[in-house]
Amino acid sequence: MPNVEAHITGTVWKIECELGQEVEEGDTLVILESMKMEMPVEAEDEGVVKEILCEEGQPVSEGDTLVVLE
Amino acid sequence: MTQTAPAIDRAQASEPLSPLERLELLCDPGSVRLLRTHVESLRLGDRARPGDGVVGASGRVEGRQVFAYAQDQSFAGGSLGPAHADTIVEVLRLAGRARAPVVGFVSSGGARLQEGVAALDGYGRVFRETVRLSGRVPQISVVCGVAAGGAAYSPALTDFVVMDRDAAMFLTGPGVVREAIGEEVTAAELGGAAVHERSGVCELVAGSQAEAVLTARRLLSYLPQSAWDEPPQRFAPASPPQPGEGDLRAIVPREQRRVYDVREVVRALADDGSTLEIAPRFARNMVTALARIGGRPVGFVANQPRHLGGTIDCLAARKAARFVRLCDAYGLPLVVLVDSPGFMPGTAQEGAGVIREGAKLLHAFAEATVPKLTVVLRKAFGGAYITMSSKSLGADFVAAWPDAQIGVMGGAQAASVIHRREIAAADDPVRERERLAAAYARERLGARLAAREGVVDTLVEPAETRAFLESGLDALAGRAEGRSGRSGNLPL
Repeated sequence: MPNVEAHITGTVWKIECELGQEVEEGDTLVILESMKMEMPVEAEDEGVVKEILCEEGQPVSEGDTLVVLE
Repeated sequence: MTQTAPAIDRAQASEPLSPLERLELLCDPGSVRLLRTHVESLRLGDRARPGDGVVGASGRVEGRQVFAYAQDQSFAGGSLGPAHADTIVEVLRLAGRARAPVVGFVSSGGARLQEGVAALDGYGRVFRETVRLSGRVPQISVVCGVAAGGAAYSPALTDFVVMDRDAAMFLTGPGVVREAIGEEVTAAELGGAAVHERSGVCELVAGSQAEAVLTARRLLSYLPQSAWDEPPQRFAPASPPQPGEGDLRAIVPREQRRVYDVREVVRALADDGSTLEIAPRFARNMVTALARIGGRPVGFVANQPRHLGGTIDCLAARKAARFVRLCDAYGLPLVVLVDSPGFMPGTAQEGAGVIREGAKLLHAFAEATVPKLTVVLRKAFGGAYITMSSKSLGADFVAAWPDAQIGVMGGAQAASVIHRREIAAADDPVRERERLAAAYARERLGARLAAREGVVDTLVEPAETRAFLESGLDALAGRAEGRSGRSGNLPL
């Protein structure tokens, strides 16, 4: 199962998923703040949220794993 | 002519189709005429079979002439030898003579080993003829099954690549990959539809082979017979969509930091049900779509704030550049929706050559002679403002929504540069910066100011946007200077 990664460098603004939650492709899991905008990070596949590896307010780099699905 | 009921029944079935069934489903009932059915390979001896693994045909789609071929993966893996290649070349030659589109159903393991260099020569001739027609007549490839080696390049040279979910394309198959570099990989992981809808190699993915065939028909409905003909005009819908103030306003938030899905704006502006997004999963920060406005086919290019905030990066620029050149080649007016904070900054993009990729988009818009209409929805800053079909690049009509911001950079960034010392010296630097940013935005970024400068022709309310597009398209109907079929659709 692919990890859900930050697609841009920025700050974690909001976490929009919970552990154990079933998600569909295209669901917003995390919202990053970057370039003065809210940037939703979406699930690219369906799955269940197994781990959340970030917290709100945390700076992240492009490619960092934010959420692990299974 | 409309699609007949039996064809729709077959389209709903998801099993693979034979090459002949693909041609029959593509074309109007009873219109398919086969070509070169008796040719055989002279090198295969007893194994040779009439047709040599490919069916060439002429036919009609919605009453319009097309040429098509379909490879037969059940004979020698669909491999290409010289006789097989000659059939494809002949189909392409006839399409050029008739100035009619080509649809190729590609299923082939590549060059036929038993035919040696003559097979490679065959591919070379197919490529050359494909390029000769590029930008002159629309060429659509539908990959069914596997397209390996030369069979992968052959679609890549055409205007559109459609794959079904079970199709795969690669230059070297899993066996050779394993031997050459020791990588264990399946055909689907290597070059399945899920790979190529994201790599940009494939423009459209269909759920089944039958659906892929119907996708090719749908693509043809937006395209002219050739670069010298007008795109097919449909009757304007009896009741064109009239998005009220609320509709577009509800989609596009006023607050610049909030994002939305610009595809909803495209759908609201286009005739109902006429939108076909091209390459929806590749470079999602740039939306490209075929659609109709008042029955007339157009190409939409739009920044997508929902992905990367609508910033332009290497892939987004390349995706849009290719689409703009396609629209220009086939006389489709360009409708550009702008909402971008700029080009993506940083080492990753510069290292990936964003200057060259961005230049491709600048070049494509500046070069295009089809009618060009631009609407700035919320913001257009810096290089992104110029690149997204600005007045200066030759846009015919440019509109902006009244509270759009247009300028060199956003207020906060500009204030930090201009008022660096004042901000540093202030008791509350954060608040001082916000105050100066708001003042800069008011004085330097307003759409009204851009209209005074003449770089925006008119300010339109969201609800008037569709009427702005209709009247602009009417004013310039059929105008495209020097469309001569001489600029090929290079696979950027």
